[in-house]
Amino acid sequence: MHPARSDVRASASRGIAEHLARFAGAMRERGIGVGLSDEIDAASALTLVDLLDRAEVHRGLRIAFKIPRAAWATFDRLFDEHWGGAAALEVPIPPPTYPREPRGPLQWRWDGERVRLEAPEPERPTGDEPGYSAAQLLRRKPFDQISESELAAMERLLARLALRLAARRSRRLVPTRGQGIVDLRRSFRHALGTAGDLARLARRTRALEEPRVVLLYDTSGSMDPYTRFHLAFAFALRRVIRRVEIFAFNTLLTRVTRDVAPAKILRSLEWLAADVPDWSGGTRIGECLAEFVALHASLVRRDTTVVIVSDGLDLGDTELLVGAMRALRDRAGTIVWLNPLMGDARYEPTAAGMRAALPYVDHVAAAHNLESLERLLRFVN
Amino acid sequence: MERDGYVAEPAIATAVYLAKEMRKPLLVEGEAGVGKTELAKTIARVLGTELIRLQCYEGLDANTALYEWNYQRQLLRLRIAERETHDPKALEELIFGREYLLERPLLQAITRRDGPPVLLIDEVDRADDGFEAFLLEVLSDFQVTVPELGTIKAEHVPYVVLTSNRTREIGDALRRRCLYLYIEHPSLDKELRILHGKVPGLSEHLARAIARFVRELRKRDLRKLPGVAESIDWAQALMRLHQDRLDGEVVRVTLGCLLKDEHDVRMTGEEAVAELVAHASGQE
Repeated sequence: MHPARSDVRASASRGIAEHLARFAGAMRERGIGVGLSDEIDAASALTLVDLLDRAEVHRGLRIAFKIPRAAWATFDRLFDEHWGGAAALEVPIPPPTYPREPRGPLQWRWDGERVRLEAPEPERPTGDEPGYSAAQLLRRKPFDQISESELAAMERLLARLALRLAARRSRRLVPTRGQGIVDLRRSFRHALGTAGDLARLARRTRALEEPRVVLLYDTSGSMDPYTRFHLAFAFALRRVIRRVEIFAFNTLLTRVTRDVAPAKILRSLEWLAADVPDWSGGTRIGECLAEFVALHASLVRRDTTVVIVSDGLDLGDTELLVGAMRALRDRAGTIVWLNPLMGDARYEPTAAGMRAALPYVDHVAAAHNLESLERLLRFVN
Repeated sequence: MERDGYVAEPAIATAVYLAKEMRKPLLVEGEAGVGKTELAKTIARVLGTELIRLQCYEGLDANTALYEWNYQRQLLRLRIAERETHDPKALEELIFGREYLLERPLLQAITRRDGPPVLLIDEVDRADDGFEAFLLEVLSDFQVTVPELGTIKAEHVPYVVLTSNRTREIGDALRRRCLYLYIEHPSLDKELRILHGKVPGLSEHLARAIARFVRELRKRDLRKLPGVAESIDWAQALMRLHQDRLDGEVVRVTLGCLLKDEHDVRMTGEEAVAELVAHASGQE
């Protein structure tokens, strides 16, 4: 190695480690999931590449941080900000801080017509704080009007729905005591124990797969009248199917799986209120679905049913929506779109978002009440 | 690498270099036909070592990937041995020896004696996630425990290349363990170099027309975009047909080399072909 270059390396290496940590922090903030192990990989990659060659540093970091194709644009932008050139490396670097925008909790406000979320506060209350009354305000939402018996009926329906979804058999073969094809390998293995006599034949059969469901739920203002029903739907799904992921979207996408805990509906609503920004605002379906595809696509596999609950009244970019739907189509097993507006017999899918998404959807259903859920059940499978 | 007929752009070269130096598996993703599998073969050629390939498919299990006992031979040996000895311990040692072990790709890669091989785990996205978890274990320790034999440690840690077509997402844990390379469709210049490397005797004029045609075709709204593999097929087909230029008629009869989807073929009718041909033979 050239001696001058190795000097540069030695003096820069400490600064680089800190720089790398800040860079990784910035990526996490933008939703690119890089972990400590990726940082370590990136650091050791930097010892191998030519630090004076900016393009090579860029390639090396992208490879070592394992940046998926969908996040390249974000990565490139952050790279430009953080690795502006050789000069940036010599500037003394302050200790790493991880500035995070405090997100929520947003306050619930009653404006005479409906509940709105406003005025974010700097810190998140612990939930037990006096005066934090999201739950109380939420009760004014029609959600609490759903009766116990209605909920129970819905859950029974959903249990049947889940069973239908579960009916897929894997190609993987697993041992069985019942009927199935003869497993010669295991049969012989047993035979070794009896000096070569095939006392009994081992059999195997195709494994039964657990259903996976991803629920993408539109919380924009136009969906407000259906909120209680669909939240109950989310809770019921959560109770019946173990592997379910729930996202809320309006202008932003939020993962709320942990907030939707079956056993504690009311507390869940508090958490939801705190975590979902811009509840009852507008929608940008395209942007949100694109973000979902970019960041959470690993949740969607061939055995996954994606359920999108939205009226398709979209303020955003239709092209983005089409791109995201196509990506989902490529990955998911089944895509179901629940659109409460379809409960109206006069409804035509004229909303731009809805029309753009339709070609990629397996089932469209109204699902604005129990009856329509029953109808959906006949669709699936 | 280019001497071996593989045109590697800087990103690919950097990834291979880092994977080799950091001794980490390299996960390669990209559209079908951009040369993911070819990359592993080239690495093996350049390093002058053996390529051991494990093709993944849905339902692939550890027995097929790692090892299996040769039960038939074991049973035969057992029957013969019983006439000579009744010592159970001797019998056991006899039939659970290494010669009754059928080595599958993963174990082969670990036990190879002369230098580290290149282990290609192809289309890892096709295997189910149970297998992925198993793979994770093998790739982190490079040792395998066979209950009857004990633990077999890697003689040399192999160079591992995993490829994926993203029919499903690879789990985060496996992704973390690897370095990640995404190969895009090649630039015009790169595709030209690949065509010349893979199809000897191709005229510069025809190669340029093919590259431009395919490049333009990739911009269209198709279900399956043609990869470099398809351009090479097409170039070879045109050579066989003794064509030295593109025209509408020839393109239409050979379109099957490029488009492998009925919908895409229908979308690329006479008019579209004429347009593409005009573009391909036009000036810069």
